[in-house]
Amino acid sequence: MRVVTMLAKVDEEKCIGCKICQKVCPPLAIEVVNKVSRVDAEKCRGCGNCNQRCPENAVTMVKRETPIRVYVDPATVSREKIEELCEKARMNPEQIVCYCTATRAEEVAAAIIKGADTPEKISLETGVRTGCKVECIQPVLRLLEAAGIEPERPEGYQWYGRTPTIWEIPEEVKQKYSQRGFYFDEDIKLLNEVAKLKAEKEAR
Amino acid sequence: MRKPITPMKPRVSQYGVDPKYVKKRMAEYPGMTSVMLKDLFPDTPDVIYPSEKGISAVREAARKALEKVDMSMIKPGDSVNVCASHHGFTLLGGEPYAELLKVVRDVITERTGTENIRLRAGVGLRFRETEEYIKAFGLDKHYKGKAKGVAPVDEGIPIETEIGTLYGIKAIYDADWIVHVHNSDVREVHFHRQVDRAVKPFGMSYARIETRSTYHQNLGPRGANFTARAIFASDFVQSKFAFTAFLEMSPVGVVSVDADNDLYALNDRLTVSGCKYYGKIMTLFGEIDECIVGLDFPCPVPYVFAAGVIYANFAGANVDLFDLDRPLPPYTWYTEAFYGKDGRPLIDNVPPVNPAIKMVVHNYAWGGYPSAFFSEHVPTIVVGREQADLLNRDPQNLDYMKHAVIADDLDTAMKYAYKVSGTDKVIIFDGAVGGVNVSESLAKLLQEKAPQVSEKVDKELLPKWLRQRGIDPETIK
Repeated sequence: MRVVTMLAKVDEEKCIGCKICQKVCPPLAIEVVNKVSRVDAEKCRGCGNCNQRCPENAVTMVKRETPIRVYVDPATVSREKIEELCEKARMNPEQIVCYCTATRAEEVAAAIIKGADTPEKISLETGVRTGCKVECIQPVLRLLEAAGIEPERPEGYQWYGRTPTIWEIPEEVKQKYSQRGFYFDEDIKLLNEVAKLKAEKEAR
Repeated sequence: MRKPITPMKPRVSQYGVDPKYVKKRMAEYPGMTSVMLKDLFPDTPDVIYPSEKGISAVREAARKALEKVDMSMIKPGDSVNVCASHHGFTLLGGEPYAELLKVVRDVITERTGTENIRLRAGVGLRFRETEEYIKAFGLDKHYKGKAKGVAPVDEGIPIETEIGTLYGIKAIYDADWIVHVHNSDVREVHFHRQVDRAVKPFGMSYARIETRSTYHQNLGPRGANFTARAIFASDFVQSKFAFTAFLEMSPVGVVSVDADNDLYALNDRLTVSGCKYYGKIMTLFGEIDECIVGLDFPCPVPYVFAAGVIYANFAGANVDLFDLDRPLPPYTWYTEAFYGKDGRPLIDNVPPVNPAIKMVVHNYAWGGYPSAFFSEHVPTIVVGREQADLLNRDPQNLDYMKHAVIADDLDTAMKYAYKVSGTDKVIIFDGAVGGVNVSESLAKLLQEKAPQVSEKVDKELLPKWLRQRGIDPETIK
């Protein structure tokens, strides 16, 4: 769940139409038209990427008059489907996937089940990737992949692709570095324990 | 009792409140004193900075260390990216790291004849932070206008590694050669666990969001830093890597400058010195039974310093963060992820946030890092409405103030903290150099416990930490 209190505002006098803001906007809320950046206030999630990357400092973040609350309630979709998706992605439905918004895997899974088929739509509907904008792209891509969705990359630098997980590290690589302090197999055991705990947790 | 050490000054930054709002420092509060690390641990290393020689000591050490480095691969006219990270600028006011970056540029020009040298300074989660440091330390002028901050959301490039494709920031690698300039302050032991510490920026401040998310979501708490090793070991990075230069840090300052063409060799040396120099003070902090914590330093909440140790590590000081047999520190993002909706851990054996911390007085610390975990787990008083407003505007700290209360001024906050916590022990994370500012009662406890901690680290813990990292303890005797 994300309460959006801020909104990007472009100073059209300063804007040079370079499109960097458009290329880094997680929910695709910015479009450059006639060499001027335009922010869709309904889509802006107040993350500030545009403000932080604009080479001309043409974007300021202003307080919204009325905050927007974005949330996909996991209770509105089949629990079985959420658990199936999370299990495939090797996540516990309750585990936090976005540290800024405290969004849990189950909410992202619910958004996907309801039809969000790109990281951009998921950001728009849940608010993930609109805090630090850095740490939560992989769980989003893993959950989309678990749903059999291969999203098309937008035109920009929003994201490039899913990267390896610990379960995919080749055995020879693990062996090669086993004496260097990397505890791959032990961490696999830990992450599996977290992912497979849903039944016990519910019973508690 | 000693007078408190002068704390690090507030810094003008878009990530913190205007320094005019920092009206009183915690070290000025009645009953505060200081303890020097040399007095706690007589084997604390001597430092070249701070010292009577001032910044020239760093300059001389850097030039000397670079003498042994081969730069013959860099030809006149070649382009060179000197890669830096925000972290170095948070140490001792930032001047030593800025000086090292200046010397590296000067020596490359002198030795190779090339003038096409660019500074590429990576960041954590505050994307303009190094832009601020570049201006503050005159690095844009020194690099003749070729200095810029780079961020993990900037254009990326794929890097093929032995575990698959990871992604770097394009601007880091858009030169014929790269030079890695960093420091050995252990800082985020909770994340990297002092495994491949020297390599970490390749998976972090030089990396795109995909790679950083891999680190914090895909590889586990003790495998995370392998992302850095995988990228650095790639053919692509190896084809561009020229050499590395590091400030060798200890909790009391800069011990030396180290440089090498072999990053792994330097990494091994710094793994040892990191465990050795920081192990004792971190273990001693674990002996504190109860305290009020003061945050009073120009950095986000987890990164404020006391005795060279960051608050995030004090929040986990109830366990041995260097011990790799322990999977989860009390604070790391994996740990945070594993708390369920009811506020309880999803699995057993998740260590709690250091129960010795009875209350936090947030006198001065920045936003720009997701910190709600801390205010959620420890009662927190934020001094001043301006700081509360700053955190509420910050997209990374939407929930921080949901769990904190606001005091109008420091005096009110301290009065409340003493009354509610029931302890008179106070530790202040204010960047005091050479020691730590504490209350008299805590100074006494640290002095009492230090000798036994010192012995335990020397005889038991340090040998174990080194063995866990593939280093024979006998080699350092």
